[in-house]
Amino acid sequence: MTIKKVIALGLSAAMVAGMTVTPVLAAEDPAAQFEGLKANEAYEFPMMVKSFQSTYWQAAVEGMQKAADELGVTFKAQGPNSESDIADQVNMINTAIAAKPVGMGLAACDTSSVTEALEKCVADGIPVVTFDTGVADAPEGSVVAEVVTDNAQAGAVAAENMYPAIKDVIANAEGQVIIGEINQDATAQNIQLRGAGFINKMIELVKADGKTVAVTGNEFYVNAAEGADAEEKDADVLIQVAVPAQTTVELCSTEAQAILSKENCIAVFGSNQVAAEGVIAANSNLNVLGSDAANGDVIGVGFDAGSIIKAAVADGTFLGAVTQSPLMMGYYAIYALTAAANGDEVEDVPTAGYWYNAENMEDESIAPNLYD
Amino acid sequence: MTKKKKSILSDQRFIVLLVVIALTAVFSAMSKEFRQYNTMLSLLDFSYYDLLMAIGVTFPIITGGVDLSIGTGMVCYALIGGSMIRNHNVPVVVAMLICVVLGLIIGAVNGVLIGVMNLPPFLATLCTCMITRGLGSLYSATPWPGLTQEGGWFHSIFKLTVGTGRSADRYPIGFLWMILLVLLMEYVLNHTKFGRYTIAIGSNKEAAALSGINVKFYHVMVYVVCGLFVGLAAIAYAAVTPTVQPGTGAGLEMDAIGGAFVGGVAASGGYGSILGTFVGIYVIMLLKTGLPYIGLQANWQQIITGIVLIVAVLIDIVKEKKANSL
Repeated sequence: MTIKKVIALGLSAAMVAGMTVTPVLAAEDPAAQFEGLKANEAYEFPMMVKSFQSTYWQAAVEGMQKAADELGVTFKAQGPNSESDIADQVNMINTAIAAKPVGMGLAACDTSSVTEALEKCVADGIPVVTFDTGVADAPEGSVVAEVVTDNAQAGAVAAENMYPAIKDVIANAEGQVIIGEINQDATAQNIQLRGAGFINKMIELVKADGKTVAVTGNEFYVNAAEGADAEEKDADVLIQVAVPAQTTVELCSTEAQAILSKENCIAVFGSNQVAAEGVIAANSNLNVLGSDAANGDVIGVGFDAGSIIKAAVADGTFLGAVTQSPLMMGYYAIYALTAAANGDEVEDVPTAGYWYNAENMEDESIAPNLYD
Repeated sequence: MTKKKKSILSDQRFIVLLVVIALTAVFSAMSKEFRQYNTMLSLLDFSYYDLLMAIGVTFPIITGGVDLSIGTGMVCYALIGGSMIRNHNVPVVVAMLICVVLGLIIGAVNGVLIGVMNLPPFLATLCTCMITRGLGSLYSATPWPGLTQEGGWFHSIFKLTVGTGRSADRYPIGFLWMILLVLLMEYVLNHTKFGRYTIAIGSNKEAAALSGINVKFYHVMVYVVCGLFVGLAAIAYAAVTPTVQPGTGAGLEMDAIGGAFVGGVAASGGYGSILGTFVGIYVIMLLKTGLPYIGLQANWQQIITGIVLIVAVLIDIVKEKKANSL
């Protein structure tokens, strides 16, 4: 049941237009349900972010602020020191719930550790809107809506845009070629979906051109891959997936370097800001990334933004990258919470991932998502 | 504190050096990618901050203490320095000084808590570890200037780049500075009052105090020197990390402390050498870098590194037992 009020306040036209330019998801405009939304009271929402570690979260808070200003509500963003401080975040959530808010926004560091807190929300009648990361096995009735990127799709977009650049190299290769993927972990749902989304789309594209493909490396991703049709040693294309022991740029860089320094490596994908920066760090000594695959350049594709990745895309080190829209996620999370606090029913708001490269990164529809 | 003439073969530093050579040989034999100059270059790039932290923390460990705040401290200083450059247009050289000064301050705080107020080192530095981690998180993720950007000259301290792009030649001159620093600090440890008192505090603090050493002062200075090196490590860290991320750094101290232990610094205090720490760090670095090259997954990398540490500490204990039974 969507809210269909005809009053034309609320979202600005530019914002709606922004959502429809080259989105990953060609879904119906998810914002339509919020048309004309007004807050019945001056609500205050606790917004639990994963940390303030990256500028990504700062962009999300910016989006929240924008929505809060439009609706006349307030929010309090809080998060632990780092995205791996799971227990700290759970404590913060419990404290926030104890104050009986009218609704709570949640981006869980660890989706399995918030179950108890969400059960408490059901009991106390606190509607929860998850953003950035969904909670797949949330207790019935706790999460009223999720505002998340479709990560499987976003990973696939990286593969779709990478493939044309390496298609000919694969077709003309004499031996096996390697496509690397660096994932910072194999435990967070968004990274899992994104990593597997890339792999599965790549398998589909490679097989469509009559080549065989195998996946090797980290067990989780090898098992998550669908459709690989060859053994590691005789596949035409080998997708090699590396996951470091800790989520640091240094260890991502070492893993990336081990793959990039193989002579038959033709492309690499870093599936979030840390992993993509690890690829860039590895390349600082190797200097193999570039845009001309036919002449032996390794094609690099990143994910998320940040000034380092943006610079790599702008100067051609990276072919391009996929960015999510933290701004929009923060923005719609506040809208969804306000609607829920009003007592309306709310639907999920899937937000898009966007492909950006040196050509389109200045476009009005892309630039606001490219946080520093 | 009598010095015994020992055969070089029983010197742990020599054994560890053999381990470094053996690891290099094994990884090189198993992976032709590992044999490349670029691999060595990256290994060195990422080793400087570990080594600088390890040189620093060797001093507290010799006194029988430890400094757990070095990892988060390093990241904290690099963040503050970086955001000074980004947001306040501070010249890079000033940001570097800020790193060093912050290192000295936190070192002094550790020193006073431990040397003067007699807090257990583990506890005191755990507290400053939390403080620096939280303090660092007040700042947002900041990249220091890149090599080609204004202020990027500081990269050349560690790696000299001649030419641009693919035709550039790169020389790891940072390694030279590291060797000089190691020799300098080895000299400081063995031939200066400060160094000898450091060892004396670790061997027997009461005896040192009774013999007239100003134990409080030198105990504080041990942590100040450690802080100084953490400040230097922050600069080396900023030079190799694309974006310094707030909230990170916890765990990095373990590589440095582990390196010191591998290099034969006695976990119980009273003995250690900077040369040992130097080779010890390269065992850790070789494992970190080499294991991915031979296709081992991350979990195995950690398991193997853990086992190497146990073996290193066991050698230390066996040696101590032998020495005591003589």
